[in-house]
Amino acid sequence: MQKYFVGVDIGSLTVKVVLLNEDLETLGMVMNRAGFSGRDVATRLTEQLLADSGLTTQDVSATVATGYGRVTFPSDREVSEITCQAKGIIHLFPSARTVIDIGGQDSKVIKLSQNGKVADFAMNDKCAAGTGRFLEVMATALEVEWQEIGELVSTSENPTKISSFCTVFAESEIISQVSAGALKADILAGVCESVASRVASMTRRTGLEPDIVFTGGVAHNQGVVNALAKQLGFPLLVSREPVITAALGAALLAREILKA
Amino acid sequence: MAKRNYRPLVSVKALQKTMGRYYAITNYHRYWGKPLRRPLAWVTSGAPVELLRAFKIHSAYPEQYAAIYSARKTTVALCEIAEAAGYSQDLCSYARSNIGGVLRPDLAPLGGMPKPDLLVACNNICGTVLKWYEVLARHFNVPLLVLDTPFLTAELTPQAKDYVLEQLYAMSADLEKITGRSLDEKNLVKQMRRSAEITSLWKETRQYCQASPSPLNAPDFFIHMAPIVVLRGSQEGIDYYRKLKAEVKERVELGQGAVENERIRLVWDNIAIWPQLFTFYKMFADKGACFVSDTYSGGWAIEQAPGTPMESLAATYTEVFLNRSPEFRANQLINLIREYKADGFVMHSNRSCKPYSLVQEVIRRKVMSETGVPGLMIEADMADSRAYAEEPVRNRVQAFLETFE
Repeated sequence: MQKYFVGVDIGSLTVKVVLLNEDLETLGMVMNRAGFSGRDVATRLTEQLLADSGLTTQDVSATVATGYGRVTFPSDREVSEITCQAKGIIHLFPSARTVIDIGGQDSKVIKLSQNGKVADFAMNDKCAAGTGRFLEVMATALEVEWQEIGELVSTSENPTKISSFCTVFAESEIISQVSAGALKADILAGVCESVASRVASMTRRTGLEPDIVFTGGVAHNQGVVNALAKQLGFPLLVSREPVITAALGAALLAREILKA
Repeated sequence: MAKRNYRPLVSVKALQKTMGRYYAITNYHRYWGKPLRRPLAWVTSGAPVELLRAFKIHSAYPEQYAAIYSARKTTVALCEIAEAAGYSQDLCSYARSNIGGVLRPDLAPLGGMPKPDLLVACNNICGTVLKWYEVLARHFNVPLLVLDTPFLTAELTPQAKDYVLEQLYAMSADLEKITGRSLDEKNLVKQMRRSAEITSLWKETRQYCQASPSPLNAPDFFIHMAPIVVLRGSQEGIDYYRKLKAEVKERVELGQGAVENERIRLVWDNIAIWPQLFTFYKMFADKGACFVSDTYSGGWAIEQAPGTPMESLAATYTEVFLNRSPEFRANQLINLIREYKADGFVMHSNRSCKPYSLVQEVIRRKVMSETGVPGLMIEADMADSRAYAEEPVRNRVQAFLETFE
């Protein structure tokens, strides 16, 4: 009889749910904005995901919740997103030794040991510069959709310089750059460089060891991927669905609860 | 499931009595100080208090009062007073809250500190104390005696020792003028002997934590270190630690751990996070993690250097761990991890204490690489709760503890 497992990642900006079966097949994944109640969104998404596979919550053997909102969600276990991210990434990329995760307002670097366990980690502290929030604020100020950023940045020949210290001040900076006639593509390229350098300096705390996997919502942004790879001097592996890797890790851990 | 997995010590009652007596005596100094010709000195935690005791000077510790202000949740209000007066928020929160308490004693617990007759600062712990105490000296218009201990990049050199020794002689001459007494050599020897005894007792008490389960946890170190900071050289201090040591010894004999179901042994680095003293360590205790040792309270468990009393003072106070190289400090942590069989360590990146904190990342990497155990870094402040973000801290602690599963 088939068994099913759910991984829920209630992040600061978005909620992700992954449905896994015993044979490690991902049956479904879904993401949505968290809004005011990440928990309610997570509940709704889980039911929807299960229904799409012809299942109900009764069919779920175990659920693991992660992300900032994890304590609010009824689950069999709540696990930090660091552990879940490591689990998800090592499953997708067995050769991974360093994970760079840039989410809505978190950025982290996770060093993995040979057996895929977390050996060390570094996170941003009390500052959202260099996270998805930073990019979101800048994209909004420039009236650009995040999907357009990668392509726009690739056309830039003269990236502007932007402070990487404060998201709010950086927004003022780019507005003045716009007034001074700087090209959108160049400003965006500067924004991507800024994010990359912030993250690059964090990698120096844990050290970098290939293979390096870049995950989290910001990994969708080709501009940042390229800027980061260039600053680190290493190629970056990116999964097709970087947003859900922690939720996947949570689902994998849910599967292990039962085995224990 | 046990609701409380942290076992309090019976000796806490004796501690409260001992410290209560100290605060009462200190706070009423204005009544007995002059009649007994015993001036009150405000001193830094690393000041050569044995010398002051030999002159019958009573010492009060602004740093220690600042920890109390924090425990009573008044630090932020006091810091805001100092900040409004122009002191930068980047300054040490002990300094800011102390200055706030001086400007507004009505906002400080215990009515703030009693007025000093003199100030004694030694920069073996940091350079901030120099300017902090100069501010106090101007405010109170009292003498300030400074002991300058050169930073030790390696071992104590004869030149450094002589430099400090010379200053101690000069300090002694100043104290003779201030107190109207001459240095009582016999009394100084007695103070040194008592200090050595209390230090020994504290050291032995801490060493019991090499046992598994550890009889003590971090909150215990930080609470029970108070007498060794402020009552060093006193008989009450010695009596207290004899009692504590006996209780801790008994716990080991009975196999009683401070944390129920101890399964993770950790070493702590830096000053405590006073406003969250219990809630913070509870996150660890809840998962069976116990802090079996620490580098901060261990700083008061150091043997006295050999030589004449003055020579010993010169060396001992210059060789304080905060005055040493990153290599020394890394080795201190490595030795604790090995001796106490720790599975990991946690470093508090304390915004207030630059000498303690700025070099931590270097030490962390070295210690992880040499011992093979993981080390967590969390950012907070020892007294200013505005620098403590509960959710991010909890997240990191949880992620760290998950690596032991």
